Amino acid sequence: MILRTPPPKRPRTEIKAAEEGYPVGSGRHLVIYEDSPVVHDQPSEHLLCTYQCRQMVKSEFFDALSSAEKQARDYQSKWETLNDSFCKVEAERNRFMEQFLYVEQELAAAKGREQALQEQLLKEVNDSRERFKKHIQSYKEVEIKLKDEVNLRKKAESSAASSEEKANNLEGQLTRLSESMKREKHSFQVELGQLKKDSKYSLSRKNAELEKMESIAINAEKELVLLNENMEDLKKHLNECLYQKGEAEKKLATLTFQEPNSSDASLLVKHLQEELRNYEVEVQEAKKLKSSYEQIELLREKLLEERSRRDRAESEISKLQELQFSMNTLDELSSWKTMMQNIPDVSSPDDVPAKFASLQKEVLDSMMKLGELNARFKQMEVALDGAQFSKQSAKADAALARDKLKGMEEEVKQLQLMLSTITDERDRLKDLLEDSRSMKGDVGGSEIADGKLLQELQLSIANKECYIKELESTVQMKQEMNNRQQEEITLLGEKLNDEARRIRSLERESDRLRSEISLLESKLGHGDFSTESTKVLRMVNTLAVDSEAKETIEALRSELQKAKDKLKAVEELNNQSGNTVKSVDSHISEKLKQLKEQIATLEKREERYKTVFADRISVFRRACCELFGYKIVMDERQRPNGIPVTRFTLQSIYAQSDEEKLEFEYESGNLSVVVNAYSSQPDISQQVGIFIHKLNSIPAFTSNLTVESFNRRTLS
Amino acid sequence: MASKTVAKDIITLRGSAAIVSEFFGYAANRFGCWGFFFSVSILYNRGVYPEESFAKVKKYGLPMLLTHDEGVKSFIANLTSQLSEWLEAGKLQRVVLVIMSKSSSEVLERWNFSIQTDGEVVEKGVSREKSDKEIMREIQAIMRQIASSITYLPCLDEPCVFDVLAYTDKDVSVPFTWIESDPKLIANPQMVKLHSFDTKIHKVGTLVSYKNDEWDEE
Repeated sequence: MILRTPPPKRPRTEIKAAEEGYPVGSGRHLVIYEDSPVVHDQPSEHLLCTYQCRQMVKSEFFDALSSAEKQARDYQSKWETLNDSFCKVEAERNRFMEQFLYVEQELAAAKGREQALQEQLLKEVNDSRERFKKHIQSYKEVEIKLKDEVNLRKKAESSAASSEEKANNLEGQLTRLSESMKREKHSFQVELGQLKKDSKYSLSRKNAELEKMESIAINAEKELVLLNENMEDLKKHLNECLYQKGEAEKKLATLTFQEPNSSDASLLVKHLQEELRNYEVEVQEAKKLKSSYEQIELLREKLLEERSRRDRAESEISKLQELQFSMNTLDELSSWKTMMQNIPDVSSPDDVPAKFASLQKEVLDSMMKLGELNARFKQMEVALDGAQFSKQSAKADAALARDKLKGMEEEVKQLQLMLSTITDERDRLKDLLEDSRSMKGDVGGSEIADGKLLQELQLSIANKECYIKELESTVQMKQEMNNRQQEEITLLGEKLNDEARRIRSLERESDRLRSEISLLESKLGHGDFSTESTKVLRMVNTLAVDSEAKETIEALRSELQKAKDKLKAVEELNNQSGNTVKSVDSHISEKLKQLKEQIATLEKREERYKTVFADRISVFRRACCELFGYKIVMDERQRPNGIPVTRFTLQSIYAQSDEEKLEFEYESGNLSVVVNAYSSQPDISQQVGIFIHKLNSIPAFTSNLTVESFNRRTLS
Repeated sequence: MASKTVAKDIITLRGSAAIVSEFFGYAANRFGCWGFFFSVSILYNRGVYPEESFAKVKKYGLPMLLTHDEGVKSFIANLTSQLSEWLEAGKLQRVVLVIMSKSSSEVLERWNFSIQTDGEVVEKGVSREKSDKEIMREIQAIMRQIASSITYLPCLDEPCVFDVLAYTDKDVSVPFTWIESDPKLIANPQMVKLHSFDTKIHKVGTLVSYKNDEWDEE
């Protein structure tokens, strides 16, 4: 090719105008030289070619043109293919855009759902927080209440302990005081007993002496009377004897003058001498009687003195008793005063029982309060345990919720990251689209960009698909988690309801048991029992019976002692007086021996009768019960007017309850029905009216009742 | 005391029955022992037994009075022997000391001693372990409570008598010195529950029920 100077470059606008008619893609620009209408300022003669050059240039131009046309056609075909591909890509892009929009919509929906879930979670978290706070508040309140209760309990315990200590101290003081009082009283009793014994002994001695003296005096009086009579007889006899003596002396005097009847006179003298001796003896006896009379008068005076002494001793004894009584009262008053001084809040003796009662009541109240406080404390402990358990469960729930929240937050973050990446991708895709749109006009260099764009689009589509799958999986996971949480919540709620129901049932049962216990305790205290498994027994030889026998025995013993004392007095009298009372004593001692033997035999017989009676009466009672069908209980009672009355309580062996009892009163041979709850029943009262009031037959009534209850029992 | 025949802390049925019946015997006497000091005791103030008929003994760590009255002595001796027999057989359910008005026979107070027997000991004859000190401590507590109960019991201003009821099983044969009786209940009583003591074989609970005083009702 012939080098020639290149034509000058035309301005850009002209180049573009030229380019519009030609395909893009070739890098060479074909410049067709033509006489340009534009007149250049600079001459270009050196640039004029010859005809050959022009022909060469034309040929080259045509070659270039043909090649350019070929290229253009190639480019056109390529452009068409590219256009097709572009259309396809556009369609795909549209499709991807639609998918993208769809994904965006789903993403927005997922976002919305996520927000809703977040809100729900937040609500749940807030609810759980609030519940947790409430639990904590309630727990704090329970703790405060527990502390208060513990403090109250401590106070109550301390007050109970202090009151117990006070009571113990008081009891100790009381025991000490009682012991001291007892010791003093014992000593006083001993002294008093000794004094009493001494006084009794002296009294009894004096009484015995008195009685002795009295008996001696009586006997002496009797003897005196007898002796007086004897003396008078003797006096008369003496006078007669004196008279006879005088006559005998006279006779003797006359007899001295008459000697032949000497034997008769001697006999007479002897007789008279004997009579004189007898009379002398009688005179001596009379003198003795006189001396005894004088002695009797002396004894009488002594007796009077002893009587006066006895009266004085009795008066002193009564004074002593009064003094002792006043001493006792003084001792009691002093003890009460010392006790009152020791006891606080007591100013007078009347306050002491009230104070004791109040102290006892306080102790009982404090014990009751303590028991109540213990019960409440236990209840509080149970409530505290429940609250702690609920607190722990709430903590666990809160921890679970927190964990879930964290997971959800992480998921949200992940989703946000995904969203940001997606938005970045979207922006990038938009930029790419814009670039592709801008690059649409350039045909030549668009293939590579199209390919790159395609790859990028494919990559973005793949990424989007992955993101979409991840989103779907996260949404499914979230849904599953939500479902699980809801199930857990429902289970927990059901459990709570069950526990609450169980607690209520347990509380009801405990209240029922407590009421049963109190009822049973009241029944136990009242003395109720089941007749099917229990029977009530009491001893027959009650102290009343024994005391009556004892009283009779004591009365007999006192009489025996009196008789013994009299006997002693009589024996002493016998020793003093001598022969005149011996026969009487022997008779009395024999009688006493007989009486003693009789008393011993009677006592033995009484004991035997008692034992036999007890045996027989129990057999008799059992036989009566089995024969007549009634258990009979006999009680001695006294009416308000003081009349003793025997009450019989009959219970049929066919009775169906303990309340089916008939009562009868026996008074001076008459038996009458006592109205009670059982006999006032209509059917029973009807029978009472018929059999007892009209027909006046209690056996008929009881037998009719027995048959009826037997029939009822057998039929039932 | 019968329990001294057994090892110190091992309680047998016989020993436990002896402890329980003796306790009741002392408790029955106990009712009059503090009356002298407080002037409101039950038997002393009623004048059922005179003052000189009581003697002081030390039992269960406390001073107590026993009666000299031969009748009461023999009554309580017969009673405690029969109660021991029933306790050993495991047939005794309750012992009740009833205090009644002498004139009207109205029941004024009921001292209820409920007894729960370990059936295994009665059937198989096994023994239990419990220290004497602990049993005595429990008995002391009850004695103190009985002594202090007179502060809230109503005053008995009329002469009174006492009787003893035994609640036994239905199949127990009635001795010839015992008869069946009504339970001598009090209508609408006030009740106070006292402590109980336990020998591991017999558990004895004490409860006193008394007729409402007119002043209290007002």
